[in-house]
Amino acid sequence: MAANPMTQFEVYRIGPEIKVGAFDISFTNASLFMVVSSLAILLIFNLGSKKNSLIPNKVQLLAELSYAFISKMIGDTAGTKARPYFALIFSLFMFVLFCNMFGMIPYTFTVTSHIIVTFMLAAFIFVGVTIIGFIKHGFGYLKLFVPSGVPGILLPLIVVIEVISYLSRPISLSVRLFANMMAGHTMMKVFGGFVVSLGIVGGWLPLSFSVALTGLEILVAFLQAYVFAILTCIYLNDALNLHH
Amino acid sequence: MSKDQFKTRLQIAKDKLLKKKLYENRKNPASIGTAFKLSTELVSAVAVGTIIGFILDKTFGTKPWLIIIFFFVGVIAGIINVIRSAKNMQK
Repeated sequence: MAANPMTQFEVYRIGPEIKVGAFDISFTNASLFMVVSSLAILLIFNLGSKKNSLIPNKVQLLAELSYAFISKMIGDTAGTKARPYFALIFSLFMFVLFCNMFGMIPYTFTVTSHIIVTFMLAAFIFVGVTIIGFIKHGFGYLKLFVPSGVPGILLPLIVVIEVISYLSRPISLSVRLFANMMAGHTMMKVFGGFVVSLGIVGGWLPLSFSVALTGLEILVAFLQAYVFAILTCIYLNDALNLHH
Repeated sequence: MSKDQFKTRLQIAKDKLLKKKLYENRKNPASIGTAFKLSTELVSAVAVGTIIGFILDKTFGTKPWLIIIFFFVGVIAGIINVIRSAKNMQK
């Protein structure tokens, strides 16, 4: 067992090395866990929607509850106009949730504790939402950067500030998820290390901390997925219902 | 006050309470989102401002000036973001 709390985030190659030009696209443990969580989502929701019995079994109940949960969330935050984007937000939420939850199983790898994964998700949302905004409102979407009721002298400064705050969205979205996951997992590893080094005499206190932290981490794993989805809804709402 | 009058007033008060409760329930998830936004919003705006300043400095060759200006603009943007989120939560 590695003593360094950061070794759990190491990405290593599984199987042969594949190179396309200068890019290394080999299959890594990170890719493995992304595939595993995607397959788990597919499996659960296929099983859940296979036979729609009136009295649902556990899997069907899980699938239906999560559907209702996301559906309600979209309705609350982005309104009825956001209905067509249900599939996108649902898959995003499920993917982040399953990656976080798979990371909670010992000896697994947490995909979302890497900034590049979360940043790609956030950048994808950011570009998508911007495109949706331009399709819906044309160049009128740029009015998002010009708040009403601002004196003319201040306008250039305000526009720069608005643009910066718009560009900071994907960064705040990705950093939040990545930092929460990485900090939590590092802390769990550190407390685990304390248990080993303090031995049978003093190890009980950090052990109890570890148990409490595991509970907290499961909560954080769910909450971060939820926040990721809800912020996507809020950004989508900004793009669909332009008001400033 | 007659009994009927009291009954209608009670009904009105009950309806009002229910409406308020429904309204708060509806608002709840969105406020959690905005609350979590606050923590990283400030930092990310500063980071974006500094990066923009750095890139502009490199292209125009005005080494220290634009990065300083855009750093402070980023700080302002971050503070505005936080204020806006806080206002959304109070609404």
